[in-house]
Amino acid sequence: MKNCDTVFCVELKNLVKKFTDTVAVDHVNLEVHQGKVFSLLGPSGCGKTTTLRIIAGLETADEGEVLIDGKVVNSIPPYRRNCNLVFQNLALFPHMTVEENIAYGLERRRTPKNEIVKKVGKMLELMHLAGMEKRYPSQISGGQQQRIALARSLVLEPKILLLDEPLASLDRKIRKDLQVELRRIQKEVGITFFYVTHDQKVALAISDTIAVMRAGRLDQVAPPEEIYDTPKTKFIADFMGATNIFSGRAKRMGDGDVVLESESGPKIVALNKKEIPAKKITGISVHPERITVSPGDTKSRAENSYKGKIAEMIYQGDFVETKILLLDSEDNKQIVVHMNPKLSQKTRFSIGRTVLIQWNKENSNILQD
Amino acid sequence: MKFRKKGKVLLVIAIIGYLFLWGPIIVLGVFSFSSDSYGTRWLSFTAKWYGELFQTSAIMDAVIRSLIIASVTVLAATAIGTLAGYGLYKYKFSGRRVLRTSILLPITVPYIVMAGALLVYFTRVVRIPLGYPAIIVAHISFSAPLAVFITLGRMQRIDWSLEEASIDLGANRLTTWIKVTIPLLLPAIFSSAVLIFPWSFNDFTITYFVAGVGTSTLPLYLFSMLQYSLKPVLINGISLIFILLPTIAILVISSLQRESKKTR
Repeated sequence: MKNCDTVFCVELKNLVKKFTDTVAVDHVNLEVHQGKVFSLLGPSGCGKTTTLRIIAGLETADEGEVLIDGKVVNSIPPYRRNCNLVFQNLALFPHMTVEENIAYGLERRRTPKNEIVKKVGKMLELMHLAGMEKRYPSQISGGQQQRIALARSLVLEPKILLLDEPLASLDRKIRKDLQVELRRIQKEVGITFFYVTHDQKVALAISDTIAVMRAGRLDQVAPPEEIYDTPKTKFIADFMGATNIFSGRAKRMGDGDVVLESESGPKIVALNKKEIPAKKITGISVHPERITVSPGDTKSRAENSYKGKIAEMIYQGDFVETKILLLDSEDNKQIVVHMNPKLSQKTRFSIGRTVLIQWNKENSNILQD
Repeated sequence: MKFRKKGKVLLVIAIIGYLFLWGPIIVLGVFSFSSDSYGTRWLSFTAKWYGELFQTSAIMDAVIRSLIIASVTVLAATAIGTLAGYGLYKYKFSGRRVLRTSILLPITVPYIVMAGALLVYFTRVVRIPLGYPAIIVAHISFSAPLAVFITLGRMQRIDWSLEEASIDLGANRLTTWIKVTIPLLLPAIFSSAVLIFPWSFNDFTITYFVAGVGTSTLPLYLFSMLQYSLKPVLINGISLIFILLPTIAILVISSLQRESKKTR
C-alpha cells in the first residue's frame, strides 16, 4: 500500500459539471485523507450528489480531474474503479437474497466460491446480521436493508466508499443508532468514507472533515468543531444553526479585536483570532446556546450585552427556544436564545419581560462572504 | 334487510352478465355432444365427434401449424418488443415521442387494411414467400408493439439505480442486463408472451390474406369447414378444447402466483 501522507485517497482538481442550464459543480478542489470520514454537506440541489456520482464514474466531468489513490480515473468506467457507492435508496436487488446481494460484486470479480462464502459470512457478522442470509430485501427492516447495502459495497474492500445520504429515509431513532454503527464499522474496516448529506447533525457526528457546499462551490472545508464554532460564511452559519446573524461593517480595535457596526443598530465585539482584515468582514454570527439571559436589572459582565424583550418562548424539551426583541434595534432584530428549561422556570421568564442578554467576544464568530 | 335486498339484485345482475359472457360457450359445449352433424340442434348424446376429430388429419395438421406459428411469434415478438421498449425508454433521442406513439399503428389500423397492405408488401416489394414465412412475419409485426407497450409500462415502475448499482459493483453492461435488467423485466416479458400467444393463435383476417396455399391455420381451416364441410359439428368440439385449455392454464398460473406470494 502506498503511503497516503503524500498521496490522497481521493483528490478532485478543478472539477466542473454543467447541465443544460445550470452549473452543478463549479471548479471544486478537495482532498480526502486515507482512512477518514469526509462529509460533503449542503442543501439539496447544491451539487453534492453530482460530485459523488462523478467520483463513482456514473457521471462524467466536463472539466477537471478525479484522482483515486493518486491516479487520474476520468476515463475509467465505473465497474473498474476502486470505489463503491451506497445509494440513497439502497438499490438492493429485489430478486436476490441477502447473501446473493452481498456476493454479487465478488462473483463479478470471479472470486473463488469458498472465499465468497467466507467473506459474506464475515460481513454479516460485522453487520450483526448473521442468520439473514436466505431472506429477500423485502423481508427485512429498513435498518437491516441499510446494513446489507453497506455490506454489499464493503465486502469488495474498496479504496473509498461513497455514501449518498443512506440514512435519510430512516426514522430518527434508527438513524441515530446506525450513525454510531457506521462510525464503528468504519473504524473497524479502516476504509475511507465519502459521505454526502444535507443533515448537519449527521455530518457533525460522523465526520473527520466536513466540506460545506453551496451552489456547486465549496464554502469551507474543516473539522466538524471548526465548522460549527467558526463558520466562515453567513450561509454556513445559518446552515449550522447559528441563527443569530448580524450584517454590517467592521472596524479594528486596538487589542486585535474588531467591532461590527451592525445594520440593526447594536455594536458587536468579536475576538479576531485569525486576524482577518477588517475590510473582508461582512458580519458576525452567534450560536443560540452561547448567549446567556438574565433579568433586566442585572449588571453586564460580557463584552456584548443588550437589553431586550421576550417575544416568544417555545418549549423543546432539552431547551426553551426563546426569541428576544432587541430594544435599541432599528429593524426590530430578534435574537434567538436556547435557554435551560430549569433556569427559565426558576427566574420566571415570560413573554413581555425585559431581560439582559450577553455573550463574550470569543462567542462572536466573524463572517466573510 | 335493505342491504340483503341490494345483495340479491347484484347477484341477479352478475348472473345475467356472466350468462351473457358464457352463454355461447355453454351452448357450444353442449352441442358438441349432440349427434346432429350440423351441431345446431340437440338430438341425442354422443361423444363420437371427439373421436372423429382426432382422426381427421387435416384438423390436426391445422392445429399443429397454428401452434408452431404462435410459438415462433411469441419468441420473436416478445424479444423484439422487449428490446424496443427498453430502447425507447432508456435512450433519449429526438423523435422518440413520435416513434413511441407510432408503434401503436399496427394495432389501430383496421385489420383488413393491414392485411391487404401486408399482402401487397410481401408479394410486390420485399418478396417474402406466402405461407409460414409471411404468416410469421405478419404476426410478429402486429404482436411486437404489444410487447413494447407492456415493457414500457413496466419500465416506468422499475428503480433504475439498480442497474447503476450493478455497474458500480463491477458488472459490465451485458452482465448487468442478464443479471439485473432481465429479471426486473421478467413480469413484463411473461405477460407479453401470455397475451401474444392467443393473439397469434386466433388471428384470422391477416393470416387469411398472407397464408397462400396449403398453410391453413386452425382459424382458417375452421372457417372453410363452416362453408364446405358436411360435419360442421366438429368445430364445436375443437373450439371447446381451445376454450378449456387456456382457461385451465390461467387458473394454474394464478394459483401458482398465489402460492409464491405466500412463501415470499
